Amino acid sequence: MDQHRLTEYFKLKMPHARDHRVVGLKRISGGSSRETYAFDLEWSEGGQTRTRAMIGRRDPTGGLLKTSREREFKVIAAVHRAGLKVPEPLFLELDASVMDRPFFIMDRALGRTGMGAFAATEPESTRAKVADDFLSELARLQSLDYREYGLEILGAPKNPEDPARIQTAHWHEVYERDRMGEHYPILSAALAWLKANPVVTDRVVIVHGDYRSGNYLYDDNGIIAMLDWEMAHLGDPMEDLGWASMTFWGRNELAGGLMEREAFYRLYEQKTGHRVDRERLFFYRVLGDAKMVVICLTGIRDFVEGRTSDSMMPFLELLIPQLFEDLANLLRLV
Amino acid sequence: MLRPTLNEIISGMQRTIMDALLPELTSPYAQGQAMSTIIMLGHAASALESAPAYDAAEIKDLRATFAALKRLGDKHISKKSGLRGALARALRAGAKNPLDRRAIEAEMATFAAAVALGHADDSVARQVRGYIGRNLERTRKLFANSLPTL
Repeated sequence: MDQHRLTEYFKLKMPHARDHRVVGLKRISGGSSRETYAFDLEWSEGGQTRTRAMIGRRDPTGGLLKTSREREFKVIAAVHRAGLKVPEPLFLELDASVMDRPFFIMDRALGRTGMGAFAATEPESTRAKVADDFLSELARLQSLDYREYGLEILGAPKNPEDPARIQTAHWHEVYERDRMGEHYPILSAALAWLKANPVVTDRVVIVHGDYRSGNYLYDDNGIIAMLDWEMAHLGDPMEDLGWASMTFWGRNELAGGLMEREAFYRLYEQKTGHRVDRERLFFYRVLGDAKMVVICLTGIRDFVEGRTSDSMMPFLELLIPQLFEDLANLLRLV
Repeated sequence: MLRPTLNEIISGMQRTIMDALLPELTSPYAQGQAMSTIIMLGHAASALESAPAYDAAEIKDLRATFAALKRLGDKHISKKSGLRGALARALRAGAKNPLDRRAIEAEMATFAAAVALGHADDSVARQVRGYIGRNLERTRKLFANSLPTL
């Protein structure tokens, strides 16, 4: 993103204000599926100088996911309206001529984050608060009526069998597209198993799609904001729970590095008032591992074929063996 | 031998990034990119030495596993399982080009799927699980010095 063009953009979007200044624009790590920039916007309004910390998320030239920024923006706007802990979405710009590629601007929440499992070095009191918030937010998300928030745009499944089938078919298709002629027996086995064992959901909810440790900002009082909504869709509530409790995002027996896995499920039941369906949970843990491998393959392909120069992309190769181990254990392939 | 060797070049480039570039970078994003580049260069240096042996062991194991599956015979590989065709293709691929890992691996994918689905006979499943276990062990060793901690 370019400081001058961004300033001009805010002049157009905030005509009531004067003296717009974009300060400290810098690209930051995280949210690998979009280019993410942090900056402060300063402006004058009503005789006062104001400042607001913001984030710009621009479509990448390549990377982990091929998702719609408009969809992501609308989801964030909807869940923000519903009172969930998310950054306030501010502007969506689909005209690629403004900043080379579509982007959106949102409020910049301040807090700590990590790449994966919740840091073992954090105090126990912080871990407990984050764990509680993590499941409270998930329960609130899953309690929302997507129609009330205009999220039919995410494509409501027609039948209770659809969520599992749609997700399996989607990730299988992406795998076929991005495997670059390679064959991965464990992944093939997992996709075949998912196809043969679709589960039936008991309700359709908003699924975050990447609900896990590493995708929230927190401080000593708990979670400040859930991030990275680009894979949101409508589906089975067990999908986010399965993904969040995958061994891959955890530490030892701690789901997400937050809480012992069985206690995590019990707390989910308390928060949502819904039983954890073990069969569906298992299905979505398998789907989660398979999906994560496929996401890695997409990033690797984009790097190999020159669509991105992000050095995190080849790094993804190093993550795949652990996912294969997890899949092999789940499916009793060893 | 020409010096520096490829390994020495890669190690030197890691030091260049660490000592000369990283202190000059102010953006957290650029710092992150530099760090992941250092890690990947380390992995590349390690893979330069170990990847050929890894590939050779993979191909040898795949071929040995399919030879063992063939020895099990039709009694264990039913027509209904659809695995006879995969076995024939794997054996043909191995005979045609002993170094073509991909072609043989494609057929192993079919066998692994059959095991996951419970469509494989116990003897077949034992062979396939044995291969997958060895494959994971080899991969674990290959990546042992490169694995990041999330």
